[in-house]
Amino acid sequence: MSVVEEHSSHDHHGYYAEGGNHHDTPQAKHRKEHMLVWMLIGGDMVFTALIIFAWFYLKALNVEGMWRGAACTPNFNAGINQSCTDGIGNSITHIIPTASPVHTFAVAILAIVGAGLMWFAEVQARQGASRKTTTPLLGLASLAILGSLVWQIYQFQVLPFTTVQGAYASVFEYIMGSNVGHLLLILLVATGLFIRSSKGLHENGRWYQIHLSRLFSVWVAFSITLLACMVTFFN
Amino acid sequence: MSTTALLEDTKLGPKAGGLYRHQNFLTGIITGGLAMLVGWLIAHYTLQSNANWGSDMVVTVTMAAWVVGFMAGIGAFNAVFRWMIGHDQDHEDELYAAGVSQGWKRYFKFCTDHKVVGTQYLVLVMTLFAVGGTLAMIIRTQLISPNNHLISPQTYNAVISIHGMIMIIATIIMVSGPWANFILPIQVGAKDMAFPRLNALSLWLVVAAVPPILISLFIGGVDSGWTTYAPLSVQSPPGQDAFSITIITFVVSVTVAGINTITTTLTMRAKGMTMGRLPIFVWGSIVSAGLGLYAMPAFLAAQSMLLTDRVVGTSFFAPAQGGAGWLYENIFWIMGHPEVYVILIPGVAAAMDVASTFSRKPVFGYKIGIGAFFGLAVLAIMVWAHHMFTTGWAPNLADPWMLTTELISIPTGIFFLVIIGTLWRGSIWTRLPMYWVYLFLWNFIIGGVTGIYLSDVPADQYFHGDMFVTAHFHYTLLGGAMIGATAALCYWFPKMSGRMLNERIGKTAFWVVAIFFQVTYFGMFWEGFQGMPRRIAAYAPYFHTANVIATVGAYGLFLGWVILLYALIHSWMNGKVAPSNPWHAKSLEWHISSPPPLENFLVDPIVTSDPYTYGEDEAATPAKNPTPATVGSSEEGAH
Repeated sequence: MSVVEEHSSHDHHGYYAEGGNHHDTPQAKHRKEHMLVWMLIGGDMVFTALIIFAWFYLKALNVEGMWRGAACTPNFNAGINQSCTDGIGNSITHIIPTASPVHTFAVAILAIVGAGLMWFAEVQARQGASRKTTTPLLGLASLAILGSLVWQIYQFQVLPFTTVQGAYASVFEYIMGSNVGHLLLILLVATGLFIRSSKGLHENGRWYQIHLSRLFSVWVAFSITLLACMVTFFN
Repeated sequence: MSTTALLEDTKLGPKAGGLYRHQNFLTGIITGGLAMLVGWLIAHYTLQSNANWGSDMVVTVTMAAWVVGFMAGIGAFNAVFRWMIGHDQDHEDELYAAGVSQGWKRYFKFCTDHKVVGTQYLVLVMTLFAVGGTLAMIIRTQLISPNNHLISPQTYNAVISIHGMIMIIATIIMVSGPWANFILPIQVGAKDMAFPRLNALSLWLVVAAVPPILISLFIGGVDSGWTTYAPLSVQSPPGQDAFSITIITFVVSVTVAGINTITTTLTMRAKGMTMGRLPIFVWGSIVSAGLGLYAMPAFLAAQSMLLTDRVVGTSFFAPAQGGAGWLYENIFWIMGHPEVYVILIPGVAAAMDVASTFSRKPVFGYKIGIGAFFGLAVLAIMVWAHHMFTTGWAPNLADPWMLTTELISIPTGIFFLVIIGTLWRGSIWTRLPMYWVYLFLWNFIIGGVTGIYLSDVPADQYFHGDMFVTAHFHYTLLGGAMIGATAALCYWFPKMSGRMLNERIGKTAFWVVAIFFQVTYFGMFWEGFQGMPRRIAAYAPYFHTANVIATVGAYGLFLGWVILLYALIHSWMNGKVAPSNPWHAKSLEWHISSPPPLENFLVDPIVTSDPYTYGEDEAATPAKNPTPATVGSSEEGAH
């Protein structure tokens, strides 16, 4: 390999300043971090696709009629003599009710609102708005995401089934758990943006961190909505 | 005073680094241990008050707490926390994190210098191989006689499972860890990886992932093999929970490492370093990283679903409640087959670069070789179900999967053509790295050809689940990928350590490994032809002779690796000082000192040709006394 040398105009030990980005132009820095976020989203897309695969696979197989069927639990309390077989050896199952779409979509809508507010904050920051504009928007975004997270956790308390009641219940609650993980992640990011914005760290053209966070938040909101539609309309 | 000295001896302020100053491997262990205790107390007394100390819930929470605590203790979350509160690390903090002025201590810290991370990875990989290899010796010793009682059948199953998974973890990172971190950024002309903190994060996540899988041996073990097939794994002892925590942690590590590798290559190349001028090792690394980004989420999904089945009673994989074992097998192999090529491709690519350097010729069919990497990656995604031929799942699809699997022989055949074409009529300089390339070719052809048998449905019906399969994938992953990685180790050792590897000891290791490798795995092929199943602790006397041969071979093979380890340690401590370019190679890493300075290039390189311009500016035979290059300078000068 033939090389010639170009003396750097930079301080020679500057790479590690600002987390390894000191030498980069803002464009190069954006490009790197853009790529990072898009690849994270790509990996998360594969994960989401596998959840969807699990949903439809188990639904289609409907093993022992227990996609939405829960096994009978023998109850011998108070003199009740309940049998859990049909007399010729087959287990008795009962169909469990589906989860209320109100809660499912409330979580999704709040996530969308949070991502939307973050997007709006990004637009404002790109237009040179001061911290007085971006900070309340990011604060509201954090609250919306927090609301979505709390509602998602609340939904665990009001489900008409438990994890052990068939495959539908299993995948449904797994999706809820996945939502909690994702919402927790973007809540931490949104809270960080809010604090940083309040310190003026997103003024003067420094909007790209909001932009990157918005990209991931939009993806999270989209995936939660997609899964909400799936569990509601294809159950 | 050189500029290198200026940088690496920079005096930092007394508060540089902040909390980092007080954090290291030891604080990680202490914090992780405390977190384990807190996690155990919470899980035992609060989350599941009626559970015994070792229930699935308790083990899961305890192991997860270890990982989080260890990472917090080593300093992985410092920068994130400071970002959140708007108190970013300053210039001195970052220099401290990069290891400036810390000497050897930086190797025990959350250090962001890619060369430190690469070296840490190398030590970690060798440690994992030592553990996995020791477990292999236990397995082979158990099998030296038909009804041996060295270990119980339950322990044997656990040892088999942990051996398999530790070796898989080690082989996934054996090239992408040390070499894609240490060498790749220099090869593309970058000062470090794109995301130095993510780089350190990926390393320490693997470190954090190791104790749970080792602890699993003492809490019932994992009795369902490294694949942890459900529904058996749903019923396994609590060791399975620790195993799953290891995998989930490892998945995060591999994902961020892969993103870092790709981003570094695509965005941080030096001026003139077009994609067509990248060393083929870089291409292999980014294809492998991209394939890992596709595969690893499936590993996360499989293990997290398995964990919820075990801990909170979901029924993804338990048919009694509506689950299906086939779901696990599908998701697992959606990860599992691409993972084979995540392991293989970087090792092959490194072997290609070594072959080019030592035959003084450009890589033959460079673009076709890159095309073969991509072709293999695409096919790898399509063939997962060939692991399920005998499970009864989708038998009508067996033919397409057989066909696509057999198509894999085309890109892998191209790998051979590229290396052999590179060697053909070259001025071959047979130094230690080349020995390993020859062994790679020998082993990988056997691994590849036996793979074609297994892709064939009728043959697979016979061989599936027996020792033939074991021998095949050891020829591929150990004989192919790991031997390629060993070629890379011998090739880049002088660059990493600044010392020449002792070739006399290294060649002794080579011959011992090369000979006993064949003995071991020919023994296993024989066992397979006789029909001996895998994963059994006792067997019929009919298989005895083949098992004795395989066991004796395994002892010899282990001895060979120990000799190589001795060569590495001895050379690192006492070896001859390495010049900057002992092999007269052309790629960028050989234009800077051995070992390279912090930030690699004190002057920014501008690349004006590809890395394989052998014969254009030199005699074909390398000079006997290479001149050490000065730091940051080019030996060739401007062209």
